[in-house]
Amino acid sequence: MIYALYVIVSVICIYTARHYWFTLNRLFGFQRHPYIDIDTADWPPVTILVAAHNEEKVVANILSALMTVKYPEDKMLVIPVNDRSTDRTREIIDEFVGRFPGRIRPFHRKEGKGGKAAALKDAMELVQTEVILIFDADYIPGAGLIRQLTAPFFDPEVGGVMGRVVPMNCGTNLLTRLLDLERSGGYQVDQQARMNLRLVPQHGGTVAGVRLSALREIGGWNDTSLTEDTDLTYRLLLHGWKTVYQNRSECYEEVPETWPVRIKQIKRWAKGHNQAMVTYGLHLLFGKHRASLRERIDGTLLLGVYIMAPFTLLGWVLALGVFYQGVAPLHGIVAILSVTAYAAIGNLAAFFEIAAAVRLDGSRKRVCLVPFLILGFAVSIFAVSWAAVSQVKDALTGAEFHWDKTERFRKAAS
Amino acid sequence: MIPFFAVAGLILLTSVLMLLPLIPALAELHNKSDALPLSVIQQHTGEIRFFADGFRTYMKGLELPLRECVSSGANTTGTMPDGSEYLVLGRGEEALFLPFREHNEFRPAVIASGTDLLLPSETNFSKEIFSAASVIGGTMNRYRAILAEKDVRLGRESSVMRWVHAVGEFSADPACQLYGRISSDTGIRLSAECRFLRLNAPYIAIGLEVDGAPDPSQLLSDAVVYQRLFHDGDFEIQAGEVFEGNLVVRGRLRIGVRARVRGSVKSEKEMVLEPGVSIEGSLIGASTMQIGSNCMIRGPVIAERTVLIQKGTRCGTLQNPTTVSAPNIEIEEGVVIFGTLWAREEGEVMAGA
Repeated sequence: MIYALYVIVSVICIYTARHYWFTLNRLFGFQRHPYIDIDTADWPPVTILVAAHNEEKVVANILSALMTVKYPEDKMLVIPVNDRSTDRTREIIDEFVGRFPGRIRPFHRKEGKGGKAAALKDAMELVQTEVILIFDADYIPGAGLIRQLTAPFFDPEVGGVMGRVVPMNCGTNLLTRLLDLERSGGYQVDQQARMNLRLVPQHGGTVAGVRLSALREIGGWNDTSLTEDTDLTYRLLLHGWKTVYQNRSECYEEVPETWPVRIKQIKRWAKGHNQAMVTYGLHLLFGKHRASLRERIDGTLLLGVYIMAPFTLLGWVLALGVFYQGVAPLHGIVAILSVTAYAAIGNLAAFFEIAAAVRLDGSRKRVCLVPFLILGFAVSIFAVSWAAVSQVKDALTGAEFHWDKTERFRKAAS
Repeated sequence: MIPFFAVAGLILLTSVLMLLPLIPALAELHNKSDALPLSVIQQHTGEIRFFADGFRTYMKGLELPLRECVSSGANTTGTMPDGSEYLVLGRGEEALFLPFREHNEFRPAVIASGTDLLLPSETNFSKEIFSAASVIGGTMNRYRAILAEKDVRLGRESSVMRWVHAVGEFSADPACQLYGRISSDTGIRLSAECRFLRLNAPYIAIGLEVDGAPDPSQLLSDAVVYQRLFHDGDFEIQAGEVFEGNLVVRGRLRIGVRARVRGSVKSEKEMVLEPGVSIEGSLIGASTMQIGSNCMIRGPVIAERTVLIQKGTRCGTLQNPTTVSAPNIEIEEGVVIFGTLWAREEGEVMAGA
């Protein structure tokens, strides 16, 4: 039992060090934004896929925003991917098609496998451009975002690009404020540090882009994945394509406003991530491919992010077991246990990361909310652990993964 | 009873200590003093002309006095709605003789002229300058910002702190220091030893000698999607070779004299282009980049450290402008960039050999 605990402590220590490394890099290191200055170019044709499944509340907002972006009109085609919607989504999209002839080509999907990846896969029959940008329907792109997300594709090594997500409903309640802090940490520090250090920035599947030839090379969208973005990140990496992160390519999104919706969302992310870990983990670490050593290590740690929740819970149980068994820790291990205690209360390094991110964002008072993150952490650790357990159960019983759409809270545009 | 109170007191004290850090959190949760979404640039797109456009709108408030001064040939002073003082000149050349200088500082603040504006030397212009015609500055001046509906010419060793926009041509005499944004709807000419950060114009000619390089519009379009070719380690494209494809090199890359690449090129380490090389796509360097003389590059040129561009090289075309960007840019006289030239830290014009 004590040796299992040592393993868990060691892994938590690695993740703690990783958080600190990223944060310190972001605070004091060299910041890479190599493509953000490309403001003049012979811009390539792009296709913008807008994934929409029952999005009557939000789809008009994104289509309106896309019609006003600064990108050559003759080089930009918007394809709303209406995935089996049963609400007014189709009607709203068709109204926009009428208002902007030639600029929007709808893809109304009436049947087929559920899930965003399956819908995007089917929509690919309409895509003819080398650069594809992807947005979920609840996002609102700014005027310059399309050019910013397209610019990295001038680099022939870039297969995917990811922009920054900023919650627009952050002031609604405690949950949205906590999610706002988490997003800050995840993008402002985590993603940008991975970009700075030439590690593995993660493709987020929205406010994102992918190169058509790269997508074809890796076999297209994987409709068996619950998180097509994580899956895409690793398949691109294994085929020698870089995913780049653009911290200044920001886009508003809507975050969940109720805990049940949040729990459902994070459980899907956890399952998808774990699925990618099982599929690509060993090959990434030991296989023959073009990823560098640092990409292999960081990519593996990134794959393990969600499995750390049940791992930490197990650590707590083992620590209690060790205590009640009266096992004395090995000499010198006390220091490690101290770190465990420090990390186990919620990996304070992650909170430090978030506080630094908020600071980098220039926010002032919202940093005061950091102590409340312990609440979000507690909910997440149990939700993610439960997702992992049910995933194992599903694997044993042969049950199929189920894709849950995240509920929207915005009032429908009139 | 005493142990009971002791335990209760201890629990109470511990609870208070635990809740202490939550007091600012609870206050913020209640007051929502910092609960707005982070500011995301939704409308303007980092346009180089953003400030110039804003200033043009601001100057609409001076349209009437400007028109009156031009027709009468008189000057007038006053205060803008935001409290800024202004001087409107009916005859721009009179700025050379007006008694508005105090210790090399030109007063009042905003200067507007309806005709060509001639500015004295060794003067600090701490507020914006507007001319409905051209601006011709003396030597060793220090400007905050200039908007001219025709040309702008800065005298030797002048400096710009924020921005300049010229509808006509912008030119800078030797050793000017151009901080901030410099843009023109016509063209930009920089002389030797000028330092710059961000420039944008249909053409950016470095030095007076801009002819002699072949027209890059002869380069084919890169609309074709080429296959990507990888090379681990150093790589060389031989002189005169025609290379087809997008090339990614994980080591150093050397492209020989008059070689032609029909695609884009990236190297993880140093990249050297020998004279006369043509690149039909983009040129991306994760390290330093040296572009030899008389090269032609159609797409964006991005280096993550330093780029040196030698005389006679052209980047982009009039029809298809492009971006050249790096933290540090050294550029020789005789180079022409069509589009944007952006040095994040410092750009410098090297005197011709």
